[in-house]
Amino acid sequence: MDAYITKIKAISERLLKDGTVEAVIGFREGTLPTMSEPCFIKRSDDVKDLVWNANCRINLANYLTNRKEKIAIVAKGCDSRNIVNHIIENKIKRDQLFIIGVPCKGMNDKDTGALQDNCATCTHRNPVIYDELAGDLVEEQTGVDKYADVKKVEAMTTDEKWAFFNNLYASCTRCYACRNACPLCYCPTCFVDESKPQWVGKGEDPIDVRTYHFLRAYHCAGRCTDCGSCEAACPQNIKVRQLTKKLEKDCAELFGWEAGLTLDKRPPLDTFSIDDPNDFIK
Amino acid sequence: MKNLMEHMGVEPGRLQFSWISSAEATKFVDVVKQVTEKVKELGPNEKFIKKTVKVA
Amino acid sequence: MADFEPKIVSFLCNWCSYGAADLAGVGRAQYPANVRVVRIPCTGRMSAKFFLAALREGADAVWVSG
Repeated sequence: MDAYITKIKAISERLLKDGTVEAVIGFREGTLPTMSEPCFIKRSDDVKDLVWNANCRINLANYLTNRKEKIAIVAKGCDSRNIVNHIIENKIKRDQLFIIGVPCKGMNDKDTGALQDNCATCTHRNPVIYDELAGDLVEEQTGVDKYADVKKVEAMTTDEKWAFFNNLYASCTRCYACRNACPLCYCPTCFVDESKPQWVGKGEDPIDVRTYHFLRAYHCAGRCTDCGSCEAACPQNIKVRQLTKKLEKDCAELFGWEAGLTLDKRPPLDTFSIDDPNDFIK
Repeated sequence: MKNLMEHMGVEPGRLQFSWISSAEATKFVDVVKQVTEKVKELGPNEKFIKKTVKVA
Repeated sequence: MADFEPKIVSFLCNWCSYGAADLAGVGRAQYPANVRVVRIPCTGRMSAKFFLAALREGADAVWVSG
């Protein structure tokens, strides 16, 4: 980790000094002990603030949306996949970016200090695109069962599932931290804020909460990289990844697709192929 | 969509899709019958309804 | 539950199923009156929001047809 940060600082300083980029997006020490916070570094003197540790769990791709200037960004495996997503969705141009790739061995959970759930089953630890690496590539995990908990839910009966999710979301306060932390959620007006028509109520009514979580997950179909930002941001420690993971699994099974791995292919939900599964249509 | 709904505990069959051309009136009638039958079997939707009273 | 009459909100494509429904009407075909038809310009107009909104407001099922 120390070697990483020295390298990140050196690269950032060089880029800012020679004017290649106007800002570097990275992490600095947060106000809470187990939370490093995202920051924009715009002067080469400030590069000393940058840190890299096991608390850099927020996805930095979130801060790239619709940026116009040239930016350097520190990217873990998952961040880099979301950067690919952003480029595919025309939210930023590749030539605006200087990606400082950081091979990652997983981030720690903010409460327990153990490896985060999504990192434990991560199979893309190395950045998929980068301009310069801050360290040697790490070995990818193989043979992990990414979807163990999804399968558990799949095996339940309809009523059990309903109860399971009622239970899961019982403590949700609709703070929208999961939405704000998510690099995919960049709509100018989120459906929860729309009022004519109002699709979903504002309160903590269980059906409203469920509608929110359902649609949030659904909007991430074929795009979610399972970076775990949503879960890390949740103040109630709700396992909000349950639904997005199910969609991820479906995309892998139905379309053989994993989000954010390549710039050359359109995501399955915006292309038509003659082999698309259509058993659900009568 | 359908998969996720079911994953969440909504009965399969609450959401149905079909494909009918504008010339296929008979197929339309058939499908309406099928869909209605299936939903009758399922019974009323008791889960995903917002229970609060609507204020006009 | 024998006399249960479900409310089925159906989203029909203007050019396909809505046409078929029209033709069924013109041909005086008999079919269950449980469907409540919403005409959409194309099945591509369908959104997950519509489906959820229908269920939340008390529909027993949603049928999307293109």
